[in-house]
Amino acid sequence: MIIVALALSGLRHRTGAFVATFVSATLGAAILMTFAALLDTAAGTTDTVSRDALILMASVAGGWCLLIVVFAVSSTMSLSVRQRSPEMGVLRRAGATPGQLTRMIVGEAVLVALIAAAVAVPIGLALGRVLLDLLADTGQVTASVGYAFGPIALGLGFGVTVLGSVLGALLAARRRPSPARSARGRGRVIAAVVLLAAGVTCGVLTATVMKGQGAAAMQTAGQASIWSAAGLALLAPWLLRLTARAVPRLSASGDLAVINVRQQAATLSGAVMPVIIFVGISTATVAMQAIEDTASAGRVRPGLEKSIQTLNYVVVGMIALFVAIMLVNTVLAVTAGRRGEFARQRLAGATPGQTLTMVAAESALLTVTGVGSGLLASVVTILPYGYARAGDWTPPVPAWPFPLIAAIAVLLTLAATLGATRRAIRGRAITAVA
Amino acid sequence: MNAVSIEDLRRVYDGDVIAVDGVTAQFAAGTFTAVMGPSGSGKSTLLQCAAGLDRPTSGRVLIGGTELTATREAAMTRFRRERVGFVFQDFNLMPALTVTQNVTLPLRLAGRRVPAGRVHDLLAGLGLGDRLGHVPAELSGGQRQRVAIARALIAEPDVVFADEPTGALDLRGAREVLDLLRAAVRDFGRTVVMVTHDPVAAAYADAVLFLADGRVVDRMDQPTASAVAERLTLVGVS
Repeated sequence: MIIVALALSGLRHRTGAFVATFVSATLGAAILMTFAALLDTAAGTTDTVSRDALILMASVAGGWCLLIVVFAVSSTMSLSVRQRSPEMGVLRRAGATPGQLTRMIVGEAVLVALIAAAVAVPIGLALGRVLLDLLADTGQVTASVGYAFGPIALGLGFGVTVLGSVLGALLAARRRPSPARSARGRGRVIAAVVLLAAGVTCGVLTATVMKGQGAAAMQTAGQASIWSAAGLALLAPWLLRLTARAVPRLSASGDLAVINVRQQAATLSGAVMPVIIFVGISTATVAMQAIEDTASAGRVRPGLEKSIQTLNYVVVGMIALFVAIMLVNTVLAVTAGRRGEFARQRLAGATPGQTLTMVAAESALLTVTGVGSGLLASVVTILPYGYARAGDWTPPVPAWPFPLIAAIAVLLTLAATLGATRRAIRGRAITAVA
Repeated sequence: MNAVSIEDLRRVYDGDVIAVDGVTAQFAAGTFTAVMGPSGSGKSTLLQCAAGLDRPTSGRVLIGGTELTATREAAMTRFRRERVGFVFQDFNLMPALTVTQNVTLPLRLAGRRVPAGRVHDLLAGLGLGDRLGHVPAELSGGQRQRVAIARALIAEPDVVFADEPTGALDLRGAREVLDLLRAAVRDFGRTVVMVTHDPVAAAYADAVLFLADGRVVDRMDQPTASAVAERLTLVGVS
């Protein structure tokens, strides 16, 4: 009982720390409910063509989202738990057993996830209707199909959000006392290799099996960059160290940035992962659609292709929005956790301007790594799809999306980092180190 | 010549908590002074105000004859890293930086040339010659505090302030640190002002200033540990 009380008081007194988790869990739950509502709608319809279309969209697009939501919610949750290690230390010294601490962390995670999922219900309800209208407008579903939001939407929305949060909490809770980093690192590398292999396989399938199959090649081509981006995201700490190694020594602020990125790669890479996924998926989809538009130019497009285009943009738009919020979220949480570090630096003689310069340089390293890896992931989609649809390994892709998407990633990271750092260095350094 | 001159300094928190209540004191260049007093006597606040880490509510602070007037943090920081060294109880070293990087950080932040030879000599003189590439986590508490002292001394400041520098150390580490501060004054002519609650630590100083309720209540030259301890009990009851 005392553990439940502690969990509740933890939530009440550390609202700030939970906001990041709460926001990502709410959005994740809303997106899941949006797609799951299509399954509820399918269950209530008698028109088989519409039903199949709804189930296909929910399972394909919803499937990607499921992966990303679990990943996002568990990573924010584990970040917020890790930032509370001093509090955990106090509890441990006060006599709390590891089991009690785990129960407390998991209890808090479940509570946050439940509240977040509840808040997500009206959002998912509305978004699901918008998505169904879109499908009806593009003729993939007959207009007479009635919208339903029921047990599947609620079950998946609540279930996955709670599961993702608990997973993140357990990972963070288990990690702290044991210094067994290498084992975890090995598992991470294996998972990354599997994901990358899946991505490349999808790319190869697109260029071989799916060649000449028309727009259907989008299925495999789209997945190629998603799997690859997820794989590279898992390798983010290593990629980040690689980038940091390539930077020349310039100023004290710049040097500190490079040293920080090398030493804290594990934490800072939390901000690189969403950049990779955001850049990888958005670039791949925009380029793929451009190739498709060129390939089918001059012909009247069948309804299916048109709705695939809608689907593409809707899904990518949702994922991009979600990942962008994740990015800001992660950056805010990571930066807020570095208050003490910034304070020590100020005591050693760093002016506020120098601290800001340092974090800006760090952001540059993070975004260069993220954007570079994201573009690399998108290549696995773009080249095979260009070959499959246009018979050309160097398809004519417009250049504008690349700098635009990269600029969005850079702006989001930089603005969030500088804003959070400004907040973190407000007040006297001497009181902030404690 | 005074390295530090404090005139009628007051520091009031939140409108009504008076931490320092009108302190006037001079610290001559090349001297080692201990500041003592019971908990809550305002000794740490006084030190932080004198070092430019906190802003007095009223009164003046002069470091090497220059008044601390900067109101913006950036200007204050620039002044501090040229003229003031500070040693903290819990070291406040950057965990990601090596010993050498930590010590040279203030110089590098100030955009000054790092005299590699002098850094090496200083660290070797502090018994850290074989620890240059280590990070703080690989050092003992005493070694960490010696790194912090090297960092405070590297810019050759007018004064080094030390707030309970032995508070987190064992007896041996504490003795090493106090010997070092003593040597910085005697052998290199630096000025040290140290807050402590330990009479043995205070006995390393040339003089002790006693504080109670935010005011200077006494001063003792050529202190011994027992005399300081005795005087301290009187501060407590008076």
